Amino acid sequence: MTSNDPIFEVQDVTLRFGGVTSLNNVSIQHERGEILSVIGPNGAGKTSLFNCLTGVYVPQEGSITFHPSVTKAINIVGRPPHRVAHAGVARTFQTSRMFNALTTFENVKIGVEARQKTGPIGAMLKLPRTRHEEKYSDQRSHELLEFVNLTHRTNTLADSLPYGDRRRLEIARALGTDPKVLLLDEPAAGTNPSEKLALAELINRINTELDISILLIEHDMKLVMSLAERIIVLNFGGVIAEGTPQQIQNNPLVIEAYLGASDEAKQ
Amino acid sequence: MSVEASAPQKRNRSLNSDDVRRMCTAIAGGLVLAIMTGPDGAISDPTYGVKTSLLSGHVVGYLIFGVIIGCLLTYRAKVKDGTWRGDRTTPRRTSMERAMSLSSVSRYASLTVTAFAVAIITLIFADFSGPVLRNKMSMHAIAHQFLYTRTYGYLILAFALWFTVVNQAMRLTTFRLRSIPRPLFVLGAIITILLFSLTSDPFLPARFSWRALNPGVANSLFHHWTTYLWLTFGLAVSLSWMFKRDSARGTRPLRRSHALVVTPSMRFLTYVAAGFVVFEAPKFMSTYWQISLFQQIGVFCLLAIGLNIVVGFAGLLDLGYVAFYALGAYVTAYFSGALPLQPPFHLNPFLIIPFAIIIAMLSGVLLGLPTLRLRGDYLAIVTLGFGEIVYVLANDWTQVTAGSAGTGAITNFSIHFLGINYAWNPVNYLSYYYLLLGVLIPAIFLFDFLNHSKVGRTWAAIREDEVAAQSLGINALKYKVMAFAMGASTAGVAGVFTAVKVGVLFPNTFVLQLSISILVLVIFGGMGSIVGVLFGAIVLQWLPSYLNFHSYLGFEETNLYLYIGALLIVMMIFRPQGLVPSRRRRREILDSQEGLGSADALGAITYEQPS
Repeated sequence: MTSNDPIFEVQDVTLRFGGVTSLNNVSIQHERGEILSVIGPNGAGKTSLFNCLTGVYVPQEGSITFHPSVTKAINIVGRPPHRVAHAGVARTFQTSRMFNALTTFENVKIGVEARQKTGPIGAMLKLPRTRHEEKYSDQRSHELLEFVNLTHRTNTLADSLPYGDRRRLEIARALGTDPKVLLLDEPAAGTNPSEKLALAELINRINTELDISILLIEHDMKLVMSLAERIIVLNFGGVIAEGTPQQIQNNPLVIEAYLGASDEAKQ
Repeated sequence: MSVEASAPQKRNRSLNSDDVRRMCTAIAGGLVLAIMTGPDGAISDPTYGVKTSLLSGHVVGYLIFGVIIGCLLTYRAKVKDGTWRGDRTTPRRTSMERAMSLSSVSRYASLTVTAFAVAIITLIFADFSGPVLRNKMSMHAIAHQFLYTRTYGYLILAFALWFTVVNQAMRLTTFRLRSIPRPLFVLGAIITILLFSLTSDPFLPARFSWRALNPGVANSLFHHWTTYLWLTFGLAVSLSWMFKRDSARGTRPLRRSHALVVTPSMRFLTYVAAGFVVFEAPKFMSTYWQISLFQQIGVFCLLAIGLNIVVGFAGLLDLGYVAFYALGAYVTAYFSGALPLQPPFHLNPFLIIPFAIIIAMLSGVLLGLPTLRLRGDYLAIVTLGFGEIVYVLANDWTQVTAGSAGTGAITNFSIHFLGINYAWNPVNYLSYYYLLLGVLIPAIFLFDFLNHSKVGRTWAAIREDEVAAQSLGINALKYKVMAFAMGASTAGVAGVFTAVKVGVLFPNTFVLQLSISILVLVIFGGMGSIVGVLFGAIVLQWLPSYLNFHSYLGFEETNLYLYIGALLIVMMIFRPQGLVPSRRRRREILDSQEGLGSADALGAITYEQPS
């Protein structure tokens, strides 16, 4: 954890909703190219952390710095979500948020197109640049659907996809924005064991083949332990443990947070 | 329903009660139409109109229409449910096929009979679209129709359409006309279209005189441009047929699908037919309809497709849309020097259009930037307020807008350019209509391109899930403001047209009710679908004019909103997506009824709760 190439630096972030403290002095370092997992019981503040990292919530205290490359540093706090996404942070949602009335292909295409410059005039007149960009986004969307193995669903409407496919589609859409880091919020929720395996493989491929750092919230411990290089445990808005999967599995504080206080821990 | 071998042959040929019902409905429909479009009744005796409609020869035409439509419906239904289906491997022929294929003699006989039927219908159509006369259907009147070149144009077009329809019908069954050799076909098409373009020109005699080229004769050149238009269409059709790939041979599946196959040439023919109706039909209308075609229908089509961008594409409820319309109109008045506040320079209305666009757009952006952060109901209330502000300003700021006394006279459209001098004549109503078409048709195509581009998809994304859209890097506010500005500028252009045509502006034209009427056009036709919205605008704007025209129906203009309200309630219950909805919008509304997705009919967005 002592490295000088972090992609996300979260320092002393505190987020409150009225009197409720959702995040309390959270500090996290996410290294470039790493699969980092955030776990914790329900209400621990995991999704709040994600929302802070993507600009949806603005924390009252602390700083969040995003390094799209080694030399660049971008302050996330106070940046609107779409500009955070432009900087290279992509995310998926806890409850999948598809554009339901659009096809799988269109969903991914919107992700790809969000980076393009075509304006309304170009779109109306079909200017050369628009055609060029349209061609590129078509091609890129097909590539991405192939990458997540959804080619057979290209023209299916998003709301008629099975659950596992929705998760993949959401990931493909996020990848369309060409991110540096991908934030996955419980991607395995509601999927069956074989889908989970495929998902783990996909996440690994995103990490290795596309060279994208991954921040993962997940409740499925098997998946987390097999994927994550490092794990951070949140409870009641604070970091209670950090380390490799082995260290976390044996950490008494974590066991207490998940299972309640045991007699040994009390002594 | 399976049609393979097992179904008894006898049952297939007989007509059942469903077919009888269909037939009766169609004929009754024809009769109702006859009553509705018949001669005027007197106010003292409104039934007079009904009586004469039913007793005059007029009714024959509608009865024929009814029978034909009934036959068509029956035929379609039979083909659709598989009762009448051809199958190459096991030919089970229907009575129609049998009649047509017994021998070449009977085939040609039936073709001739059908051709005569088509000719009669066409003649009736030509008659109806001709000068308004009582008892139009007398034999004498029909014979008289042959004196008009127009009739031949209709005939040729009808035959062209008829052949396409027959070919399509044949595709559905096993029976096919022997294919016509291609060069002959192309030649025929060229000649057809050429003849049609010539004969459909009501100014045919003048066309062939040198007078047409004489600059001293006012308006002469402008009378012939439709001829050139049809020539272009004809050439395009012929060329597209000539260069069409021959995909038929060898690749044709043995069994035809039940659905109507829409080929590119059919689509093109549809465009041509629509173009014909839009360009040619108004020439044969009475003055009353020529006026309302521009003022009641055309301008509102433009307004409706503009509002469709805001409500249909971007999913924002705008209740103050008429404000931008008013702005366009008052900008025109300002630059015409018709307001108490004098402009620095006077402009021709054509040059005012860009100003109106820019000013309406700017005001859209200014209103949008602070308010589009609101959503759903709040936005509706703010826009409602904006509409009222503009109305009150127009009404009360008398130093600038002249208030309820009305503005002065507004300059008319005219062209003075490169030696062309043409001024629009307020009495020549169609000249305004064609000018409006010059704006409306490009707008329809441009907005359609827009909807199917990145921008349209982005709007769909924002409509459905703003949070997810933002997480992809979409600046939702920017796109909403964009939609607002484009809708506003369209209304601005509509404002210029209205102002110039009407000549004098009164603030009470731009009341809240008008905003709501335009919104109703959009909702009724089908949000998000340009065709639907145009359809809604044409139907809903035509109907009051029609009811007013036939005074014996007892329609009172003041009750209009009563009917519109009732119509909306019925629509919302039975068809909330509108008459001709867009595919995306229909899905969204179905989804939200099932509790899926976050977009309701007007794009109110629910937010994720922090967990």
